[in-house]
Amino acid sequence: MSHHNPLAFAALWVALLALMSPVAHAHKASDSFIYISPDEGHLRVDLALRDLALLVSLDRNGDQAVSGAEVRAARPAITRTVEQGVMVSNAGGPCRLTGQRWGISEHSDGNYAAADYRIDCADGGTPDTLRYTLLFHIDPLHRALVSIEGSSGSRLAVFGPETGEISLGTRPPSPWQTFLTFVHQGVLHLLMGMDHLFFLLVLAIPATLGVRAATGSRRALGLTARIKKLAGIATAFTVAHSITLALSALNIVNLPSAWVETAIALSITVTAINVIWPVLGERTWLLAFGFGLVHGFGFASVLSDLTSGQSELASALAGFNIGVELGQIGLLLVGFPLLYALAHRPVYERAMVPIMLAVVGVTSLVWAGQRVPLPGWIG
Amino acid sequence: MRKPTAICSISKRWERWRVSRRRLSAFLILMVLSTEPAFAGPSPINPDFADTAILAQLPNVRVNTAQPPSSPEALASQVHEYIRQARSTGDPRFIGYAEGILSPWPENRMTDELRVLRATLYQSQHKFDKARTDLRTVIQQGYGPQRLQALLTLANVQTVQGRYDQARTACQQLQQAMPGLISQSCLALVDARTGQAREAYQTLLAGYRQARGAATSEQLWALGTLGDLADQLDNDKAEQYWREVLLSNPDDLYIRAELADWYLRHHRAQPVLALTRGYEKVDSLAVLRAIAMRRLDHPDAPTLVQRLRERFSEARWRGSMLHKRDYARFQLHVENDPELALEFALANWKTQREPPDTRLLLLAAREAGQTERSRPVRQWLASHHQTDARYPGDTP
Repeated sequence: MSHHNPLAFAALWVALLALMSPVAHAHKASDSFIYISPDEGHLRVDLALRDLALLVSLDRNGDQAVSGAEVRAARPAITRTVEQGVMVSNAGGPCRLTGQRWGISEHSDGNYAAADYRIDCADGGTPDTLRYTLLFHIDPLHRALVSIEGSSGSRLAVFGPETGEISLGTRPPSPWQTFLTFVHQGVLHLLMGMDHLFFLLVLAIPATLGVRAATGSRRALGLTARIKKLAGIATAFTVAHSITLALSALNIVNLPSAWVETAIALSITVTAINVIWPVLGERTWLLAFGFGLVHGFGFASVLSDLTSGQSELASALAGFNIGVELGQIGLLLVGFPLLYALAHRPVYERAMVPIMLAVVGVTSLVWAGQRVPLPGWIG
Repeated sequence: MRKPTAICSISKRWERWRVSRRRLSAFLILMVLSTEPAFAGPSPINPDFADTAILAQLPNVRVNTAQPPSSPEALASQVHEYIRQARSTGDPRFIGYAEGILSPWPENRMTDELRVLRATLYQSQHKFDKARTDLRTVIQQGYGPQRLQALLTLANVQTVQGRYDQARTACQQLQQAMPGLISQSCLALVDARTGQAREAYQTLLAGYRQARGAATSEQLWALGTLGDLADQLDNDKAEQYWREVLLSNPDDLYIRAELADWYLRHHRAQPVLALTRGYEKVDSLAVLRAIAMRRLDHPDAPTLVQRLRERFSEARWRGSMLHKRDYARFQLHVENDPELALEFALANWKTQREPPDTRLLLLAAREAGQTERSRPVRQWLASHHQTDARYPGDTP
């Protein structure tokens, strides 16, 4: 055993098994239960005693067992905790919760502290918004399972660390609401993601330049021709990334995200180089189409992070795509006139374009280097 | 005769596409299933509980709810402790606590040790791509025990996901860095999954016999692997190997479940009850226990089955089905619903391709009379030359 470090092995062994067991052998995870009937002004909250023990001192004698007496003694603290972590409100502001019945309830993994509350809103109306913030700071995998009871039946919802609030309208969010939310997300993603901004910039630059004549000098293009050219490029990009976004969002094609991100970065570099040395030809729209396919997979990985637990996948997909388009059109509407105005000055083509291309090309090359999931080419 | 590589890769891609079409339909079905309100009303509130009643048992490990550790070493040791707890009890809350203290830690202060631990947490939540990214970083820039740990963990992730070429590369790198029973087991497992089960078993057995002086942890690791290979070859020695592991390491839930399943397959339900007693909270073992109880007409069977139904329906309400294999097994052998079992087995197989996952899928497809849906799986097995005594033939 000379070549082995026993300490290394102890660590190895422990983590190794750890890897294999928790996945396949999950118990019930940490869940709270919330039952709410907005119309009847009734709320019930069930918190697992094990979870509560993290928030209030339940086990007073420190014997790792929670007795009935200990739960009773902790009742004021439990009530305070629930009041801080569960909030019901409507347009008139926060609603008041008045405790009614209090005790222990049983779920599939043991005992919970359970309480019924009457909801009184300041404006006398029905509550329309629920918030829940307990435990996430200790256990991000904690969830609150919510059942919203209405006259037309009940609806289920889930609070996670990022949920914020849940609307108590008895109907789930309409496809239209989902659509609007995702339009917003699409615009945000396009405008916040430097990748796509850079790519659009290097796609737009050729449309601001003239057409290369046989002599190597450029023939100037009229404004209409330039706008046509730009529209062609933007359309090709849009069509391409819409195709792959849909394929990926519907789980029909899946690519490893690290490679997609690397390819996106490289596509920017290549497009930048292509403006100066048109190795891939001068038909920028073809380039926009080809690389647009890659960018679509990138959009999809963002979308899939946003749609976990989303039932209106089609509305979400359509909304996100349109959001990306709106962002793109808005950007070109602002950016292109600016570039066009500059394009009349000689310094534009001689200095500004090369500098922009160099900055974009080098930056994206650095990104590509950072993103490539190489190490030894394993996996 | 070997096909030219290009054709081979095209056909693989085609097969992948076909599999993803299946996934699409499974996904749609899952969406339908998950919107179905499968819920009974809340259980009653009991205000009259006895003062002396013990209502909950708290874990022995203190959970840090105050300040998170400030040094990377202290943080790592705390995360490690939580992971160990999750492993030995199967309790996913500890995975959550570990994530709770690790995720606020700034990226630029990440150490190799923390990355390996984070990869472990990612893997336990089926975030395999993220796990791989962290492991590769450590393999590239790390050294010493952390690099070894990363290699072994990566080999494990790749093997579980059925990426045998990549798994083999990781095992080989591990062997170069540290020859011994662990890397031998690593390679043997990959070899066995790719058409060389008999040779892999003999080689590992010989290696095990020669390494009598090896650390206990290494020997146990090799024994667990030998059990798996023996079982793959329909060799009854599997029972003995796994028994030996459990003797030293009773909380190895993975081996415990493998052994319990072995007894069920060999029509011995009685030992399953003994093996799973006290582990009713662990889903995989509780499902095996329920199957055994049903076979024995045990009076407690209905209670356990009811408890499992409730637990699974809560998990579906929660939405993150991290235990699709257990649920599929429950549907197939307890609820006798092979169609539903097949949907979950297919969804599970997307990310986990260990023999129990594959076996369950093939069984469910056969029971459901939908063997055409397991055809891509059969093709995948054939492409890796994977044969396994645990797999059923397609004709009943």
